[in-house]
Amino acid sequence: MEPVAFLLYYITPYIALAVLLGGTAYRLYQWRQKKPVSVHLSLFPRPQTRWGRLLDTLVDMFTLRGLWQVNKPLWAGGFIMHLGLLILLLGHVRVFTDYYFLWELLRWGEEQQTQFSHVAGTIAGLLFMVPLFYLLVRRWSSAVKWISTPEDFLLLFLLLGTAVTGNHMRFLLEVESHEVRRFLQGLVFFRWQPVPASAGGSFIYHFAFVQLLMICFPFSKLSHTIGAVLSKMVARS
Amino acid sequence: MLTRFLEAIREGMSRPLQYYQDICVRCGACIDACHFYAVSRDPVHIPAYRMMLVKKLMQSGSSGNGTLLDWYRESREIGGRVVSELQRAMWECTGCRRCAVFCPFDLDTGLLVSVGRFSLLQEGLGPEMIAEIGNAEVSKGEIIESIKEFYLDQVKALEERLQNEFAPGLQIPVEKEGARVLYVPLVGEHNIIPAAKAFHAAGEDWTLSLFTATNHSFFVGDIAKAKRAAHWIVEEAHRLGVKAIVYSECGHGIRTLLHYFDEWFGEEVAGLERASVVQLVASYLAERKIRLRPGSFDTPLTYHDPCNLGRNGGIYEEPRMLIRAVAREFRELNPNRALNWCCGGGGGLIAAPEMQEVRMQAGQPKVEQIRRTGAQWVVTACENCKTQLTDLNAHYEMGIEVKGVVDLIANALIL
Repeated sequence: MEPVAFLLYYITPYIALAVLLGGTAYRLYQWRQKKPVSVHLSLFPRPQTRWGRLLDTLVDMFTLRGLWQVNKPLWAGGFIMHLGLLILLLGHVRVFTDYYFLWELLRWGEEQQTQFSHVAGTIAGLLFMVPLFYLLVRRWSSAVKWISTPEDFLLLFLLLGTAVTGNHMRFLLEVESHEVRRFLQGLVFFRWQPVPASAGGSFIYHFAFVQLLMICFPFSKLSHTIGAVLSKMVARS
Repeated sequence: MLTRFLEAIREGMSRPLQYYQDICVRCGACIDACHFYAVSRDPVHIPAYRMMLVKKLMQSGSSGNGTLLDWYRESREIGGRVVSELQRAMWECTGCRRCAVFCPFDLDTGLLVSVGRFSLLQEGLGPEMIAEIGNAEVSKGEIIESIKEFYLDQVKALEERLQNEFAPGLQIPVEKEGARVLYVPLVGEHNIIPAAKAFHAAGEDWTLSLFTATNHSFFVGDIAKAKRAAHWIVEEAHRLGVKAIVYSECGHGIRTLLHYFDEWFGEEVAGLERASVVQLVASYLAERKIRLRPGSFDTPLTYHDPCNLGRNGGIYEEPRMLIRAVAREFRELNPNRALNWCCGGGGGLIAAPEMQEVRMQAGQPKVEQIRRTGAQWVVTACENCKTQLTDLNAHYEMGIEVKGVVDLIANALIL
């Protein structure tokens, strides 16, 4: 095995995870260190009760309701991309473990599981990838170009790289999920297993892009995953 | 260059501002929100650009030049062009927070601008007039005794005039101990007359404040001074033993009263009711303390939601209820309420003569919006908006009349 490939398969994943967790903790600590604004920064209308405000924040987050009101194309791009990502993340839980309880509940055998994951994965892969192209093209267009930075392009490149290599494995290769699971579980338990052969050449790129995203997460705008909730609560305080 | 600005803005980097700087994804939803950008098409007016500019300046202070990191962060060399951009980004904003409504994360450019303005003033950059008026409001409390007599004479004269013109029993009490309501006006009788009429009709037990609701230190983000100016009113309320502080039709004043006083003065204002005069008069109508001639006005009219009453204050329905009670043809602006276009005169710009041209430009979306309704009267409840709309009317020859909500009500009262 090439030294670089060896590093990417067996060494850097640990670094990426450490940076993701440590960096996120550091980011939260940094935010915590700043003094809160003591006055109300509420936007109206806002719900009256504390629970109402939390619920409102969550509904807003999961539907991007505000964006729907003011910019439908951007809503479509943002919402569909995030929806695809959410489904993909849920699907990727299966590369570590499985939804055993769900299959039992549905009384689905292995064949049905595979079929389902194939359909859901295909749809989600497209839901994730197509809007990313739109969001990229948009960055060059009209006024958005004034507020586009190298960070924006870097992250779009990493996300698109992840999406394209992932979809390549999904659409064109017959990846044995148990091979992938064995490899990743090996990483988790420090009992290194062979690389999933059925995943072909795309796997290492896919794996590397994800690690880069993990490293970028705490130090880039990707931290809006956490920060957006905090900011939205400020606007409803 | 900009050392004191950077120092002040680092100091002012509160928790929400740090969130904003770290998480803004520059999606561009805010591009369509800003009335300045809608007219100028100048990138510096894009809310996300304003945020980026400050971020880049803060970062360029901490690294060298020409490194890869500098390229990645687009660090800005601090020179004449950046200073000019920064000035426009911070001063050519009315703090209306329409962009915060558009933002999927509710990022508040108004807060950034507030801190940014304060920091720029440390560098001596910005319209001095706004800060000057702010200083005058702070020191007014110290010299109040010397101007009191003149003020009382003026009020007496106004009272006599209204007794002749409106109702013989009308009174404008000043320094009345034990009154229920302390009414805080603005400079000028136009702001006292309608309220005095409404209070008279409702049989309100009120007293006129020696101070005014305006707080220009708030516009320039000088919160320490803003507190000191507002504190004179709290002190007056305690001295007279009133139950409620009521602010006149003044947008930013009402915002401080309703949303900042608790944090600024804590226990000191805990027992004091606080409301805008529009809310108070609406409660008179709801409780049948006043009677109005329905359909008093035939002229098609519209209501402009001042940003500080609307999306920043939550007062949407009270003015509409009052207007509907007296108008035959009320037409809504489109969009309205939280998405209403700013008039273009907020954030203290009215007080800065050098901003005149800028604010006439920034008012264009408002002008078009009003024209589309075909309304001849524009009713609103904020002095800043009224002045701006009056100026827009002259500048664009709109042929409209600008009126206050309480103004409208005062002319439809049945005594």
